[in-house]
Amino acid sequence: MISRRAIYSLLMLAALGVLSLLLAVTVGSVSMSLSELSMAVAGRGDPLFGELVFSLRLPRALAAFATGGLLALAGALMQVLLRNPLADPYVLGISGGAAVGALASMLLGLGTAMVSGSAFAGALLSTLLVFGLAQGRGSWTPTRLLLTGVVIAAGWGAVITFMLSLSPADRLPGMLYWLMGDLSYARSPWLAWLVLIPVLVVTLPLGRSLNVLARGPLQAAALGVAVKPLAWLVYGLASLLTAVAVTTAGSVGFVGLIVPHMLRLVLGNDQRLILPASVMAGGALLTIADTLARTMMAPEQLPVGVITALLGVPTFLFLLYRSR
Amino acid sequence: MPPARLLCRCLPLLAVMLWLGSGLARAQVCVTDDTDRQVCLDQPATRVIALSPGATELVFAAGAGEQLVGAVSFSDYPPAAKKLPRVGSYNRLDLEAILALKPDLIVAWQSGNPMEQVERLQTMGVPVYHSEPRRFDDISTTLERLAVLAGTEAVGQGAADSLRSGMDSLRQRYAEAAPVIVFYQVWEEPLMTVNNAHLISEAIEICGGVNVFGELAALAPKISREAVLAKDPEVIIAGGMGEDDPSWLEPWKQFASLRAVQSGNLFFVAPSTLQRPTPQMLAGTRTLCSHLDTVRARD
Repeated sequence: MISRRAIYSLLMLAALGVLSLLLAVTVGSVSMSLSELSMAVAGRGDPLFGELVFSLRLPRALAAFATGGLLALAGALMQVLLRNPLADPYVLGISGGAAVGALASMLLGLGTAMVSGSAFAGALLSTLLVFGLAQGRGSWTPTRLLLTGVVIAAGWGAVITFMLSLSPADRLPGMLYWLMGDLSYARSPWLAWLVLIPVLVVTLPLGRSLNVLARGPLQAAALGVAVKPLAWLVYGLASLLTAVAVTTAGSVGFVGLIVPHMLRLVLGNDQRLILPASVMAGGALLTIADTLARTMMAPEQLPVGVITALLGVPTFLFLLYRSR
Repeated sequence: MPPARLLCRCLPLLAVMLWLGSGLARAQVCVTDDTDRQVCLDQPATRVIALSPGATELVFAAGAGEQLVGAVSFSDYPPAAKKLPRVGSYNRLDLEAILALKPDLIVAWQSGNPMEQVERLQTMGVPVYHSEPRRFDDISTTLERLAVLAGTEAVGQGAADSLRSGMDSLRQRYAEAAPVIVFYQVWEEPLMTVNNAHLISEAIEICGGVNVFGELAALAPKISREAVLAKDPEVIIAGGMGEDDPSWLEPWKQFASLRAVQSGNLFFVAPSTLQRPTPQMLAGTRTLCSHLDTVRARD
């Protein structure tokens, strides 16, 4: 059974998530008092404030939260699947595939919908490549899968550099924002939420099997877990999550790697707890980071990746140091 | 006269004035922008935000500097532009700061601003003029159109005409001049030049020069020093990191085989006068032409 402590932790994280969203709606480069904010929410007062809250801050905060949740969940799933702390969608080349797909369609001058579609296709192609090649003629091992992923990621990296050096100057800025990952260009947040919630619901019952899988495929098989279908399902879901995150906000790195680890250091390695906790902590981290990115040096806007790293690295190192 | 009668007498006049006033207010101004979209305003713009340093300069030149209420970082010309409130940098706009200034016209840079952000401003009801001057005549056209939108036609038309006539007189003067093979260096690391579709190349052409890399496919191609050695241009002209920094010319001096180096034909032209699509290019083109004259005289 899930312990009482686990439920408290989840509630705490949920509260943190709500607080981060509130913070994101309250602060911005235009300062707004709480009474002005409540007037704006009620639809009265200066129409400018209403516009700021409902057309700019809220959609962006929701996109940030969902993207953070998607990435952290994808990272958590991959780390269990590969039993390797380094596994995350970036290391394994999934987001590299998504980036190549998106950049190729930008290079061809296609519209936003096509960019999202081809990012998704690129992520799936990368998944199939990694999984298919890692399997080879025999069975796959986590090391082999990780190595294949790393090499394919390097390959995508080269393709990206090649495309960037060929692209005309007027397409280049758009492509660069996209590679850096930036929520100021986030399209609508709804796709991200529509994927995040069902995937979380699907993975929650898998928690027990994933706990067993984390001990190794042989033990898992001995305990009656259908390892191969489970592995395929987890990898497929993780690439879906990554593809949607990347199409929403470009390649925001780091969240998928660091959030699940932080939570494991604090909460232990029970996947039934880690998976939902990752969604909430990842969402809160990215929302807070994005809020800081757009207000810290306003009106100058920073890329969100700078802040996620500046917040995440010291926290992570502290937790790691303390956990010895 | 009793107040009531005064009112009666004045009422028709008042009505006529109101009617005229509302007629003026409804006088829509419309222009086509560089992306062939119609930009219409119900009345001339009074609160303009320019989203690139070049656009800021164009708005000032069109006579609408008074109406500018915001600009992006590095908008430093004319000096008055430095005092404008900032709304982020050209590639990362602060949408909140922009909306808070309540603009009634935004001049965007089509190939430099993030399109998602500009589109969001448009969907929120702010009229956007997309600017992307590619030829000298586009600069004059932009001045005219911005002046129409801001209701400063007299100034804008004057600026546009003087730019056109200045360029025309240079064009006529150098129409028969002996061609000079020119290499223009737009950036140092990586080494970059421009092709014939670029404004700088048009300036070279007006002065009777031939852009040695004009036929390359990219607008601003990256090239190697070796490629320059192979083409052996008669003159090398470079911009620089500042308004008075000819250091990019130094590395060329080690290649004594270059014709340009042998005859000392290495020239610096301040980048602000040649690398921004604004009326200042007239001055930059004049400097460029005089350098090419020097080259012809040395032959």
